[in-house]
Amino acid sequence: MRRSVLKVLAAGAASWALPAARAAVGGLPTNVGHADSSPEWERLREKLFGGRPIETAASRLQLIVPLRAAYGASVPVKIVSGLPQRPELYVRRLTVLVDKNPSPVAAVLDLTTEIGQADFETRLRVDEYSHIRAIAELSNGELHMSSRYVKVSGGCSAPPNRDQLHNIGKTLLKVPEGVHMDAPTPVDLQVVHPNDTGFELNQVTVMYIPPHFVRSIRVSYGDRKVFDAELDFSISENPAWRFNFVPRGPGTLRADVEDSKEGRYVGTLAIA
Amino acid sequence: MKARAAWAAFTAVALLAAAGVATAAGLAPAYQAMVVEPAGLPARAEFDLTAAVQRARKEKRRLYVYLGANDCPYCRKYEAFLEKNAQELVPHFAPYLVVDLRSSLSVQANALFIKVGSSSLPYAEFQRSIGDERARLLVYPSVWLLDGNVKPLMQMPAGTGTFQTVPEQLEILRLEQ
Repeated sequence: MRRSVLKVLAAGAASWALPAARAAVGGLPTNVGHADSSPEWERLREKLFGGRPIETAASRLQLIVPLRAAYGASVPVKIVSGLPQRPELYVRRLTVLVDKNPSPVAAVLDLTTEIGQADFETRLRVDEYSHIRAIAELSNGELHMSSRYVKVSGGCSAPPNRDQLHNIGKTLLKVPEGVHMDAPTPVDLQVVHPNDTGFELNQVTVMYIPPHFVRSIRVSYGDRKVFDAELDFSISENPAWRFNFVPRGPGTLRADVEDSKEGRYVGTLAIA
Repeated sequence: MKARAAWAAFTAVALLAAAGVATAAGLAPAYQAMVVEPAGLPARAEFDLTAAVQRARKEKRRLYVYLGANDCPYCRKYEAFLEKNAQELVPHFAPYLVVDLRSSLSVQANALFIKVGSSSLPYAEFQRSIGDERARLLVYPSVWLLDGNVKPLMQMPAGTGTFQTVPEQLEILRLEQ
């Protein structure tokens, strides 16, 4: 899985050399509708999903992103699934893309029914005006997509916030609304990490800071997998995720985090 | 020597003009902005919004608060954009009372205070008090869209770079999210 994602990342980086296909008079792009395509998406679609049909009904999947965010380096993103995670039919994979980022595949989430409800929240870096897309693959093979066009810029080269480097890897789990036994329970997960993109300039040395970002997060409850996430630097610094899980009795919620320099970190939360 | 200096100055102004950059700081008169100069210099720059808020309430208008700096090229660019497109844009600003806070780049977040009534808060604290996500970093220029109770009408981006075309400025005025 990781290898295939990395291939796509490499292809995305290479695509920077290609000219933008559509531009209106004055330089503004014309494909600014939330559901519009883009040359980058057409290439990614072919590589990730081949010729498979992709539905866009909002009843199955909804992506909520503001048109403009406060900062391009921290664009709030919410994914809402219209489908409860039941064994007979569930979202088994979620892919999050930022069409025009240097590395457009922001996250690939491998899901189980243990999450109860495939709703996620996180924050993304967005480097220039771009579509953000969430694509859900259901357990029956169907693909569903929701997309939003956002107007922000500079997210991948924003001045880094490096005041927490001594806490790098610290992984925190919280249940902000309390525990709901046998029901989807929201969890906040945050990893203290600069998630350096490689495009940020050190203001003192005037050298680019090498990339160093959270590569994967694996969440489990007891001995059961909740979900695995393959990530990239399009996730904002201090990667934060809100997700659900269904506790079926006391146990330990655990997040195993690995970064691009093979740093390994663990966060746990006892659920009573 | 004098002639050379004069020629250099002329060239600089000509280059700025050629780049479409206004040389005067502040919003164009067409927007009839309430200009607010800072008090408390040089220790701090306190911008008092009290009179603007009272006027906006009286006139049942929203506030379009612009924070610019006299030595900020991005501010000049936004001001020049507004000036250039004033004929088209000014009618759409009618529901807003435009307020022009005139600062300088040397005034950073810890020294910039916003005052409303008896409350005067430093930039980050003011932002947190109104629920604005831009508390972390002060960026010149900045725009706030506020109601008569000094509550944001929508989350605005840092800077003005994403609404320097007429259609995008209109999106902002229409509060499109």
